[in-house]
Amino acid sequence: MMKYLLGCICSLLLLLPSGLSAQESAEDRPPVTRAFFLNNAFVVQSPGKVIDLGGVLIRDGLIQAVGKDLKAPADAKVLEADSMYIYAGFIDGLSNLGIPKPKEEERGNRGRGQREYNPSYERAGIQTERSVADMISPTDKSLSEMRAIGFTAAHVVPRGGMLPGQGAVILLDGDKAGKMVVSEGSSLFAQFQGASGVYPNTDMAIMSKFRELYTQARQHKTHGQNYAKNARGMSRPAQNEVLDAFGQSIDGQRAIFFAVDGIKEMYRAISLSKELGFPLALADVTMGQKAIADLKGSSASLFLTLDLPKAKEEGKKGEKEEETDKEKMMLEKQRAAAQQLHEEQAAMLNKAGLSFGFSTLNAKAKDIRPNLERMIKAGLTEDQALAALTTEPARMLGLSDIMGTVEKGKIANLVVTDQPYFAKGSNIRYVFVDGMPSEYEVKKKKKKKPGDPEAKVMAAGDWNLEIDVPMAEMASPTLTIVDEDGSLSGKLVSGMGTQEISDMSLDGDNLTFSYTTEGGGQTVTVSFDLTIDGNSLEGSMSAGSFGSFDVEGDREPKK
Amino acid sequence: MFKQSLMLFLLLAVSTLVGQVEKGSIHIKNGTVLTVTDGVLENTDVVIENGIITRIGKNLKAPSGAKTVDATGQFVMPGIIDAHSHIALDAVNEATHPITAEVRTGDVLDPLDVGIYRALAGGVTATHAMHGSANAIGGQCETIKLRYGTFNPNDLKMEGAPRTIKFALGENPMRVHGEGGGLMSRTRMGIEQVFRRGFSEAQQYLAAQEAYNKNKAANPSAVPPMYDRRLEALGDILKGDIIIHCHSYRADEILMLMNVCKDFGITKLVFQHVNEGFKVAPELAEFGAGASVFADWWAYKFEVYYSTAYNAAILTKNGVVTSINSDSGDYIRHLFHQAGKTQRYGKLTDNEALRLITLNPAIQLGIDDRVGSLEKGKDGDVAIFSAHPLSVYAIPQMTIVDGVVRFDIKEDNNDQRLAPDPEKVDMMMLNYDEDHRCMEGTGEALFHNH
Repeated sequence: MMKYLLGCICSLLLLLPSGLSAQESAEDRPPVTRAFFLNNAFVVQSPGKVIDLGGVLIRDGLIQAVGKDLKAPADAKVLEADSMYIYAGFIDGLSNLGIPKPKEEERGNRGRGQREYNPSYERAGIQTERSVADMISPTDKSLSEMRAIGFTAAHVVPRGGMLPGQGAVILLDGDKAGKMVVSEGSSLFAQFQGASGVYPNTDMAIMSKFRELYTQARQHKTHGQNYAKNARGMSRPAQNEVLDAFGQSIDGQRAIFFAVDGIKEMYRAISLSKELGFPLALADVTMGQKAIADLKGSSASLFLTLDLPKAKEEGKKGEKEEETDKEKMMLEKQRAAAQQLHEEQAAMLNKAGLSFGFSTLNAKAKDIRPNLERMIKAGLTEDQALAALTTEPARMLGLSDIMGTVEKGKIANLVVTDQPYFAKGSNIRYVFVDGMPSEYEVKKKKKKKPGDPEAKVMAAGDWNLEIDVPMAEMASPTLTIVDEDGSLSGKLVSGMGTQEISDMSLDGDNLTFSYTTEGGGQTVTVSFDLTIDGNSLEGSMSAGSFGSFDVEGDREPKK
Repeated sequence: MFKQSLMLFLLLAVSTLVGQVEKGSIHIKNGTVLTVTDGVLENTDVVIENGIITRIGKNLKAPSGAKTVDATGQFVMPGIIDAHSHIALDAVNEATHPITAEVRTGDVLDPLDVGIYRALAGGVTATHAMHGSANAIGGQCETIKLRYGTFNPNDLKMEGAPRTIKFALGENPMRVHGEGGGLMSRTRMGIEQVFRRGFSEAQQYLAAQEAYNKNKAANPSAVPPMYDRRLEALGDILKGDIIIHCHSYRADEILMLMNVCKDFGITKLVFQHVNEGFKVAPELAEFGAGASVFADWWAYKFEVYYSTAYNAAILTKNGVVTSINSDSGDYIRHLFHQAGKTQRYGKLTDNEALRLITLNPAIQLGIDDRVGSLEKGKDGDVAIFSAHPLSVYAIPQMTIVDGVVRFDIKEDNNDQRLAPDPEKVDMMMLNYDEDHRCMEGTGEALFHNH
């Protein structure tokens, strides 16, 4: 009892400060006006359709007027937009934006390694009844990050196993989850993500389980319909909301969205759709140009990944050496060709007459504009890129009526830039979501050089790291650093356990440390090379033959 | 009319994920042809047209448009078939339940695996892409053709090949599920009960389906039994639609499984590894079970000590359809050497030895009407060697699948990967290791557990 009370008080204490500050913050007051006016801009209504020096009037969340010679109404706030470029807000075809990652402890609770004969639906990662709309966190920082590069709406899906639930299209700004949702239940989301330790663990079991569930859902639906018609004398169908959720797909009304990691998973999803007959959408597509006929045959909606393999870094200064080994040169050539395969996917699909949008599921906000630039360099035209960011996803998500272009009556989701969006050095100045603007200052280019030995930074504290490593257990560890009279030590806590680190060195703003661990039967030295800037850090982690991975992190605010 | 046929064409074009497999025409001239079913033919041509062998004879005319290969001084044999392999797979074990009969390796084929090319470089044209041996009843396997170059996993499937399934006896399923997982079974006795219980449940399932089908016309309120893919698969074994390929070592267990099969009316059975097969060769022959063995590989765990290099010869002489397999991404390139060992240990004839890696595995996979020998009407799957393939001096020169050259030693680049890592140059080409994947995914992959 005592324990319980204590727990309650603690959680109240945790809630208290944030509750207070929310009450007092300016955001909660109603806005002075919900009318905005942008004038004398290049209004890119849709790809290829531009009004030179036109205006856009926004009122109550909608685009009220678009055209030349518009006058600012008295109650509208006029925003500086002279010679700027106005685009429809971008739409992300599939991602987890605004859906927080489950905490490490919760993930750990899933009983790794424990075998069971018949795991529950939930344990098996089959949660089709869930809706992502119940999981949205309006304060999730991924929302503001994506908004800052022009995304205003996204088709978001739950995190989880092979069938984590139903997706929804949301707006990327808003104080309440309910107000952000544009359409709920717009998709059923599937991925080749096995359950740990229990069935279905591998892709082959996921394939089989998917077929079984779908076939059972059909059977369940028929049984339910027959029972509704004539219950007397018929055994009663059991309630099953997991199977019920397939109903709209069985009727051809709701696409099943597969996020695919690579061309093989893409073929697996196509096979399932073909065998079972449900409408298919593919997200995070790569190497699609190797499967053009099959993609056409599948009639799937396509969303290409905005994540590209990292461009090869130009040789670091001082270690620029001519490669002379013939075999290494040939391998390097192969690598470059493989890279190109990813960069030119969008252009090649376009050439083949396939239309597509983009998905950001595995892309980082900061990489997206450079990646679009690389795709354009590889042959995609700017209009095609814009279509893939606006009109195409709107069409494929069934929302062309309310978003995707700058036209009267549509939701006022807009991106305003000082130069054309795809031009080098162009800056985003405003992003409107649901008729309300976020304003962005032009960033002064004074990026500090990494590894500044003169810098004074503080390393001690709890750091939440994000490591771009393909193992979920290691992807978001906590790094605790203790500073005892200038001697740094700490520990790294991840899903793989706790790693004590004795020797850390801080040179200016450059923090380095390493430790050894056992992995795959060998001893691996893991070393971090990080640059601290205020309360954030970035850098890399290298783990022997496993490769090198990007690291980002933020300091946990002091409680 | 034109419109209609156009529609039909479009329909066909979109409705076939498999079936656009590349076929070729080749005229192989003046080789020593080892037909396997019709002896050795000197200075003979083999003509493949559109993927099928159309003629075998002397001084044949080349069909128009066919590629010509001069095999003077070389040996032409049917493409080698490996009845036990795990190459070209993205997953091998669904090790989460003692019975996972419903999963299929055909769903996780990996056409980008460079192991396919390496196997081609050893004269192999078809493999049996098997589920692993973690479960008493593992998944269904896929017979694949090594059509390296495609990105579509479905292109690898040998269209029309019979269904097969992996079973396993002994230490592997006991350890993974019994000792490691707290599930059935900890003992060899228990493994037998996994089979018997599974088949009994499948019988009940089939009976319930049959009852429903009989009943539904008269009773509109009848409800069919809930669809269960595991029981469907076990039921298909009972119906004789699936060939069992069972991982096995010990003679007592081999007899046990034959008894189980007899009790349930199952006749299609091939034993894999079968290191103690020589002890029960007459019983295997009487049952009509096949045996797919290693030439001389044993002592990698306790149940595999009692073994002999004469195993293949003893089985063959007792009338058991016997093959030699690789179960390895490395040995698969040396199957012709493995077959040659049976001449040192057991004095098999050239043709008997060649059958171990051609026609016999084809029989065990139920594809002997299509491949396994060089005959008119069979698939154009051919391996060409510099010397007699049972000679240690033989070097594979060219490997042809469906009339398409998939390996040519003259055009062999160092790096034959289809999808290299776009982010870094890796040195996997320089230090790849042997692939022993039977126990992959069970947390025990570091051991050599076949």
